[in-house]
Amino acid sequence: MSEAQLIKPDLGYVKEVMNAGGESLKKCYQCATCSVVCELAPDGKPFPRKEMVWAQWGQKEKLVNNPDVWLCHQCSDCTAKCPRDAKPGEVLAAVRRTAYQHFAWPGFMGGLFSDARYLPVLFAIPAVLIWLVMAANGGSLSPEGPIVFSKMMPITTGVDLLFLPFAFLALFSAFVGLNEFWKGMDAQVEASVPRKGFVPAAKELLGELIFHATFKKCISSANRSTAHMLVFYGFIGLFVTTNIVLVYEWGHKLLGLHLPQTPLPFSGLGLPPKIIGNVSAIALLVGGVLMINNRMTNKKDNPASTYDWVFLSVILLVGLTGFLAQLTRLANMAGLAYPIYFLHLVFVFYIIAYLPYSKLAHLLYRSLAIIHAKNVGRDALTLAAPAAVAAVPAAAVSAEPAPEAGETAEEKKENPEASA
Amino acid sequence: MDKKIGVYICTGCDIGDSLDMERLVKACSPPHETKTHEFLCSEEGTKIIHDDVKNEGVNTVVIGACSPRAMVDAFRIDVPIVERVNLREHVVWTHEPKEEATQLLAEDYMAMGIVKAQKREPAEPHIEDTSKAILVIGGGATGMTAALEAAAAGYEVVLVEKNDSLGGHLAGAYKDIPSQAPYRDLEAPLAAEKVKAVEAESKIKVFTGAAIDKVAGQPGLFDATIKTGGGEETLRVGSIVLATGATPYDTSKLGHLGYGSSSNVVTSAQMEEMAARGDIIRPSDRKKASSVTFIQCAGSRDKDHLPYCSANCCTNSLKQAMYVREKNPDAEVTIIYRDMRTPGNNELFYAQAQEDPGIFFTKGDVTGVSGNGGRVAVTAENTLMGENIRIESDLVVLATGMVPTTVEDPILNLQYRQGPALPDLKYGFPDSHFICFPYETQRTGIYAAGTVRHPMDTAGAVQDGAGAALKAIQCVELVSQGKAVHPRVGDETFPEFFLNRCTQCKRCTDECPFGTLDEDEKGTPKPNPFRCRRCGICMGSCPERIISFKDYSVDMISSMIKAIEIDEDEEDIPVVIALICENDAYPALDMAGINRLKYSPYVRFIPLRCAGGTNLVWISDALSKGVDGIMIFGCKHGDDYQCHFIKGSELCDIRLSKVQETLDRIQLEADRVKLFQLSINEYDKIPGLIEEFIEALEEFGPNPFKGM
Repeated sequence: MSEAQLIKPDLGYVKEVMNAGGESLKKCYQCATCSVVCELAPDGKPFPRKEMVWAQWGQKEKLVNNPDVWLCHQCSDCTAKCPRDAKPGEVLAAVRRTAYQHFAWPGFMGGLFSDARYLPVLFAIPAVLIWLVMAANGGSLSPEGPIVFSKMMPITTGVDLLFLPFAFLALFSAFVGLNEFWKGMDAQVEASVPRKGFVPAAKELLGELIFHATFKKCISSANRSTAHMLVFYGFIGLFVTTNIVLVYEWGHKLLGLHLPQTPLPFSGLGLPPKIIGNVSAIALLVGGVLMINNRMTNKKDNPASTYDWVFLSVILLVGLTGFLAQLTRLANMAGLAYPIYFLHLVFVFYIIAYLPYSKLAHLLYRSLAIIHAKNVGRDALTLAAPAAVAAVPAAAVSAEPAPEAGETAEEKKENPEASA
Repeated sequence: MDKKIGVYICTGCDIGDSLDMERLVKACSPPHETKTHEFLCSEEGTKIIHDDVKNEGVNTVVIGACSPRAMVDAFRIDVPIVERVNLREHVVWTHEPKEEATQLLAEDYMAMGIVKAQKREPAEPHIEDTSKAILVIGGGATGMTAALEAAAAGYEVVLVEKNDSLGGHLAGAYKDIPSQAPYRDLEAPLAAEKVKAVEAESKIKVFTGAAIDKVAGQPGLFDATIKTGGGEETLRVGSIVLATGATPYDTSKLGHLGYGSSSNVVTSAQMEEMAARGDIIRPSDRKKASSVTFIQCAGSRDKDHLPYCSANCCTNSLKQAMYVREKNPDAEVTIIYRDMRTPGNNELFYAQAQEDPGIFFTKGDVTGVSGNGGRVAVTAENTLMGENIRIESDLVVLATGMVPTTVEDPILNLQYRQGPALPDLKYGFPDSHFICFPYETQRTGIYAAGTVRHPMDTAGAVQDGAGAALKAIQCVELVSQGKAVHPRVGDETFPEFFLNRCTQCKRCTDECPFGTLDEDEKGTPKPNPFRCRRCGICMGSCPERIISFKDYSVDMISSMIKAIEIDEDEEDIPVVIALICENDAYPALDMAGINRLKYSPYVRFIPLRCAGGTNLVWISDALSKGVDGIMIFGCKHGDDYQCHFIKGSELCDIRLSKVQETLDRIQLEADRVKLFQLSINEYDKIPGLIEEFIEALEEFGPNPFKGM
């Protein structure tokens, strides 16, 4: 018997999770239906049952350093089957939100994302900054002549000078937070557990990511993986497009490469980024609309929180304003095109600069958590499960004690840290 | 009574198609006139009987038709004796039509019915000048409710409370759990309101600071001596409601949970008192407690302590957790439970308590409680956290279970030969049959209600008070008419003792499950007819066969056995009689009939009021007559006992073991006589049991006494 661990209930963190969208968490009475119905939970110490009791007791340290809350893809099978309407899927999402805030660097950024009240501030920051940079470049929302967005705000000395530093700052902040997260996760797993290595684990993750293999296991919200894939690839496409333009612009400026003027024409060298950009934007828009539709139709099982809606709206608005900016430009509607482009920049800033704090951070945290899980062989159990089930009939008699043995191994794993 | 017997046979429901009615009628008569009708239970059919009663002077009616459990109203004939013979379920629905064995079976049943009718006498109810007043002992939620309900129904009530004021446990309580939808909010204890109502009710005579010195007599004629500070008073009452409640489990046995070693470990009862006084404090330094841990099942569901669940402690701790948080919104409350048990609507209350973010729940087995400078540490294993945990708090509350007050003290001091206390079935709770007869104790006319009966919450206690009051009323009313109370409600017969032949062996006084019989100095039984439940266990126990009822006696059953035709030339055909419990086996046999299950036609059923009434003389009579085997169908005994009369089936088993010894001695196979335990729903097992028994008999060969 291991030494008893002192448990201090933390009412403050309980309330934090409740405010972050997990208001139903106290309803859980630990029947573990959620862990049983979850398709993604590993066999040993599955989630989300244990996360629910930790959340009820405000066990923040356990939760924010717990990779399991990230293995959850919020299929909401658990929420659909919960007899007590405790919505484990929502609670885990809320725990993830508190985790971004916990690992946020600098800390006050986490604070800004902890309450819907601060939303106007979050949008005001880019709006003011962009306005200032625009003004500094001598631009305005209504330049004369044919519509060229760089007349409002030049790309290199305007957009890039503002966005690039914030992008690098965001990456650095993310790195600081992720580093803490990795250390926290790793401390939970005994040193003697063999590590696969970061790179092989990351490769496995990529393999799954391409077709969203894990996400497809969801039952209650199976079509979500399609929507997510559209948005995911839409983002990648737009990232590629942006970088092509970045290379064009800076290549022209610094290396004197002869390149077409912005706006890029729908021909010649301008064509590939146009195609990639537009196809990606459409994917993003379609995916975003699908996501909203899913949330509307599955209201009961998957009641999206304010955070969820804000982020979803930003995604949709980035796509929409980008697309509309292009259309109004082509239609020569200057009165609309420039303000829309301005808004587009605001939303893009939100996505780039707030990467480590907004819901987009799941891209980083989830990836890292899955890599960690693969590194220590935790979620391999999930993948091995079907094979193990298939093997049961052959050894029906000996199959019974097998999971128990697994449990004890897990327990052993847990015990030293309990005493440590 | 000069009997004029009329025999009536129904030919409907397949009876006429399956049997040779001419032969059957001939077998029944003469000397009795036998009439048939194709639809005897119809108005037209029963008119034949009514006409004979009116015009021909028939005063004893034998009806061969369906089970006596069916068509009860149609065959209610206004004569002193009506005997029903079950030709439908026992014969035609369970045996091959038009076969000789089926015909013989029907003829035997008719003969047995007629002989019983000949032997029966009209019932003469025992009437005395009885009291209809109701004594209620205990002035808590249950007792006050019982008193108010009985008074509201017009009965005089005597309410005895040991404390100086009414109210019971609730009088000192701070809050109570919700009693009505939506089962979310704490309520003020209802004690004050009930006390006021009791005090305003002129039909209730209240004794406070009083105890029962003794209770003598029998239902309708109880003499209760009440002792108060000012002396004693003996009152005549008709029935008694025992509502003395329960006490919390002995704290001296809770040392393993820190009780006694730290003053900051208290029981839920002490917590309630503290809350009623004001703030929740830690007793060691009287500072406000900012964290409280509840330990559930403290001394409950534990083989070394109370083995049972007290059903109310979980809900009670939820209530206390809620008011701790109400009094101090910053307080943290932890509840460590084995299984959260919140029966009925209390589940909704549990859900409500859970919603409070400051109440923390975990399942767990507490391994230790230790005080440490004002703080108390509780360690637990098998928790939901997946590890062994330690919780430190200012105050620890042990949720203790309930012990019925009757464990320590007989309370009633019954002047019964079998002792002063109410017998218990399990764990000290006075009870006679938990499922079928709530409130019944094993002493007729005395009804247990509230937590003395089994652990429950206030709503349960209130319901119990009302229920027991109704039983008490039923008792005084039936007793005043000389009728049995339960389970044979309305039975006007009672055991009669031919004491000239009594040998003072005391078997009847010992074996009566209800303490009916007292005895005089010589040991001769002194019957108290109103205590009797008419089961006939005394009749079965008496070796001298001196106990009988007007419609049920040793001689009657013996005569029925003798009425069975045994063809001594047909050695290959076994003859079996089956004595069956009419409470479980008989309905089961009816169900077998309704389901058209087929079984051997060589078994003749004789219903008994209780298998415990089996008199061994029937066995010797049957065997000496040439019966090959005797089956006895009693109810299930053991933990899930079903006997209407406590343990009749077990008593029968004990008696049979003696018979079997005798059989061995006279070189007869002991298994020719066998008790089967059959519950009411096991009708489908009957054919198998019979078949097996008959196969065994065939192996033994015919009874060697046959034809001797």
